Amino acid sequence: MDYILSSLIFIPLLAVLIILCLPKHFTQGIKLVALLATSLQLILSVWLYSAFDASATVQGYQFVQQLNWISLNLQSLGLLQIQYFVGVDGISLSMVLLTGLISVIGIISSWTISKNIKGYFALYLLLVGSVMGCFLALDFFLFYLFFEFMLLPMYFLIGIWGGPRREYAAIKFFIYTLIGSLLILIVMIGLYTSAFDPAATAVRANLAPAGQVVSAEVVAEVQRQVAAGTLTGASIVHTFSIPDMQQAANFIPGSILNILSEKQLWDIPVRYLAFLLLFIGFAIKLPVVPVHTWLPDAHVEAPTPISVLLASLLLKVGGYGLFRIVYPVFPEAAAYYAYFVGLVGVLSIIYGAMCALAMADLKKLIAYSSVSHMGFVLLGLASLTSEGTNGAMYQMFSHGLISAMLFIITGVIYDRSGSRMIDNFRGLAFSMPAFTALVVVAFFASLGLPGFSGFIAELLVLLGAFSSSAVSGMLPRWLAIVATGGLLLGAAYYLWALQRMFFGKHWVHPELKGEPVMTDLTKREYLMLVPLAILVLIFGLFPSLLLNKISPDINYFLQSVLQNR
Amino acid sequence: MNSIILLTSFGILNLFIGFSKSKKIIMPLVLLFLAIVFVVNLTGWNDTQTYFERMLTIDNFAIAFTAVVVLTTILVLPFSQSYIDQQNDSLAEYYSLLLFSLVGAIMMVAYENLLMLFVGIEILSISMYILAGSDKKNLKSNEAGLKYFLMGSFATGILLFGIVLIYGATGTFYISEISSAATAQSNNELTSPLLGMGLLFTLIGISFKVSAAPFHFWTPDVYEGTPTFFMAFMSTVVKAAGFAGFYKLMSVSFAGAQNIWFPTLIAMAVVTLAIGNIGAVAQNSFKRMMAYSSISHAGYLMIALLSFNDRSENAIFFYSLAYSVSTVAALGILKLVADQRDDVSYNAFNGLGRTNPLLAAVMTISMCSLAGIPLTGGFFGKLFIFSAALEQELLWLIIVAILMAAVGFYYYFRVIIAMYMREPSGDRVPVGSVATFALIFMTVLTFVLGIAPGLLSNIL
Repeated sequence: MDYILSSLIFIPLLAVLIILCLPKHFTQGIKLVALLATSLQLILSVWLYSAFDASATVQGYQFVQQLNWISLNLQSLGLLQIQYFVGVDGISLSMVLLTGLISVIGIISSWTISKNIKGYFALYLLLVGSVMGCFLALDFFLFYLFFEFMLLPMYFLIGIWGGPRREYAAIKFFIYTLIGSLLILIVMIGLYTSAFDPAATAVRANLAPAGQVVSAEVVAEVQRQVAAGTLTGASIVHTFSIPDMQQAANFIPGSILNILSEKQLWDIPVRYLAFLLLFIGFAIKLPVVPVHTWLPDAHVEAPTPISVLLASLLLKVGGYGLFRIVYPVFPEAAAYYAYFVGLVGVLSIIYGAMCALAMADLKKLIAYSSVSHMGFVLLGLASLTSEGTNGAMYQMFSHGLISAMLFIITGVIYDRSGSRMIDNFRGLAFSMPAFTALVVVAFFASLGLPGFSGFIAELLVLLGAFSSSAVSGMLPRWLAIVATGGLLLGAAYYLWALQRMFFGKHWVHPELKGEPVMTDLTKREYLMLVPLAILVLIFGLFPSLLLNKISPDINYFLQSVLQNR
Repeated sequence: MNSIILLTSFGILNLFIGFSKSKKIIMPLVLLFLAIVFVVNLTGWNDTQTYFERMLTIDNFAIAFTAVVVLTTILVLPFSQSYIDQQNDSLAEYYSLLLFSLVGAIMMVAYENLLMLFVGIEILSISMYILAGSDKKNLKSNEAGLKYFLMGSFATGILLFGIVLIYGATGTFYISEISSAATAQSNNELTSPLLGMGLLFTLIGISFKVSAAPFHFWTPDVYEGTPTFFMAFMSTVVKAAGFAGFYKLMSVSFAGAQNIWFPTLIAMAVVTLAIGNIGAVAQNSFKRMMAYSSISHAGYLMIALLSFNDRSENAIFFYSLAYSVSTVAALGILKLVADQRDDVSYNAFNGLGRTNPLLAAVMTISMCSLAGIPLTGGFFGKLFIFSAALEQELLWLIIVAILMAAVGFYYYFRVIIAMYMREPSGDRVPVGSVATFALIFMTVLTFVLGIAPGLLSNIL
């Protein structure tokens, strides 16, 4: 079972190779390989979820695999170690489960793709493998590698299989995310020049024998020697390891991102600047107002399964990056900018909801509702309270399920009519009763009706935001009050859309091509929507299913951030 | 030294072989010559030799960069197949000029005396003037040759003037001896104007050769008119040798006189990055885009020059290698495509993904490497340069460079859009077997540099 995480990453990548070897016209085989690979991934991730031991000692990464990959001699600066380092903890666990689940749903949704099937499924699996890699990587370089590798397949998937303005949307998506990832790259370079791996340094400096686990005393001794300046230069092993970067003792004195460093640039301490760069990098991915404008375009042009992947998984990488890297590595900056982060979160909630209210295109409406919902992640994180951070994580998971449903719903309408305009439809409930029932579930779950997973998440976030001023002193109360308004707006745009499209007298715009027949769901569509609806309900009624697994690690994350601020 | 002798004699030998009727034999022979030079060059590793009264030093630095330029030339050659097919009369002369220009390139990386630098630059440049205008019946090629010659002569003149002024200020042409005098004088108000002027003029001369802004104006026009095959050579060999020479001059002679050149160079780096990248965005011709891209890469290399520590020479070496390999692959494919479709704009690549999957894949990988996507050599090239610069705390410069890299993605990816997202604009492009092999080799090398950069990142 040592290789379970690696198999999660490499099963899809292996399937890519198999698909590339298959002949172009053997479409059924290609689809089956893709389905098989993602199903295997789902089974493994469910197994991982059940085998994950939440009672284990805190901050324990489980199923860890750590191999040296690239060693570069930096001469006077010592050695640079890049590792293949994967592991799972409570923060990544739910994301891994979500990835396994949504990948399969996406493959089912892709079954009707007809253009260049071989290329499509190869890129799809490459994307899934990279997303999985992102959630499992514990080495910053490895994380960055997978982060960049998500871009290319996504770019092609939108650019080749997308709607009429696909090229514009693809390049816009690409440039935005790329700028984000380059900002991350700057900080990554700064972090590796500043951080060192105490265990490997001990071996290099002959303080510990090679090939054995280095004891905690030796690690502490190395940290002490480096801090005192007796161990310097060529004997230091620089690292990209995220767990190492999370400890202030692992920063070299005098280096650019050392916690005691008083270096400033434009009158801002460099560590604060690094936090901001990383924050913007991940905020573009999340996305956060005002760097969200790529999202509606990308969603509108992307084919349905790719929209599902984009909303359910790729956006989560942004939030996950904040949890995994930004907050633990820069806790003092996180505390300093908590107000700003919370404010941006609330701005996203309100602005996203208002935009959604104004949209005439159902898919755009849902895209903006994503912006609004991801604002809750930021708000919960910024509150730095137990409720808030748990809620933020819960929101990421729950939004992954709900947004997948919502985008499949728009796909269902689009497949039948070639249009997604809200004004083109009325009274769909008459021709598509079962579909309407599922739409109601999805809309209500998304607007945060009690009983669905969205409610739990948003409730926790708001609780955290309200109590923040008293507990951690991060956010003023008015932010929470304004954010509550976002829920109201959410109810408004969903109910209004529901009323306009599904209720009233049955009518479909006569000028839509081929006078579409709005038949009810097919078996394939049931297969996608019903499991998601059930999961949304289960996680709404029994939040402890997820929280029991993830809370210990999230609370530990919170403690370490609050201690080091 | 052996490589200089070998290249010269092979060049002369090649001219005689050119008398033979069969043109087919020339390319394999030249490839063989270059392979011999490559091997002989590497045998001198770790064995520093000086020649001509210490005017040339063949050390590891020189050997490494000689290997880069020779390897680049080997990789460029297979794309001259169309010249052979057309029974071009001057083929042997072209190849000989390439061999001779390599001699100049080697002198530029091995010089120990400013006169040698000057002679090396001249040997390289004069061959390039001829090759730029080698497509005699093409007006643009004529323009390129003349433009390059006129501007190049001025630049060489300025360079020579600079060298003379430096001689006037320090009394020597030897770069190691200049060092102590320059360090002493750089803080002395009475004598430094002469030195400063000399250094500035030298900077201008070399910047012209490596096409760093604001001395880049010739680059797009000349590159556009130059036959693609020679452009591939020019934009890689001249750049790699030029930067190696540039670095050697700065690190050996003027390390102590940073107060004179540091602000100048930093401004030039920013301007070069901006002009290269923003200029490339505006192009519709792939060939002109590659010309601007070569300017922008000069900007990144200048950052390595500026960071100025024990890793910058390794960074320059690694970056030049990764850049050369990807550029040769891209321009080689352009040559193949343009020969058939008679077009050097982005449109020439339309639908290449469907007609020639291999060419499109190689092109995609080289574009990714030039743009700096992980797992390719170009990414580590940039990473090394940025980390070397970060140590000098040039954070704002890195931020500028990285934003410019983001711009770079836009124009590099336009060709990928054309290849995969548009309908084919022509039939399958024929590719010779040697060229196919070279393309695959370059792709593999790009990945090797990107997956195991440790192999080559630390050899100097």
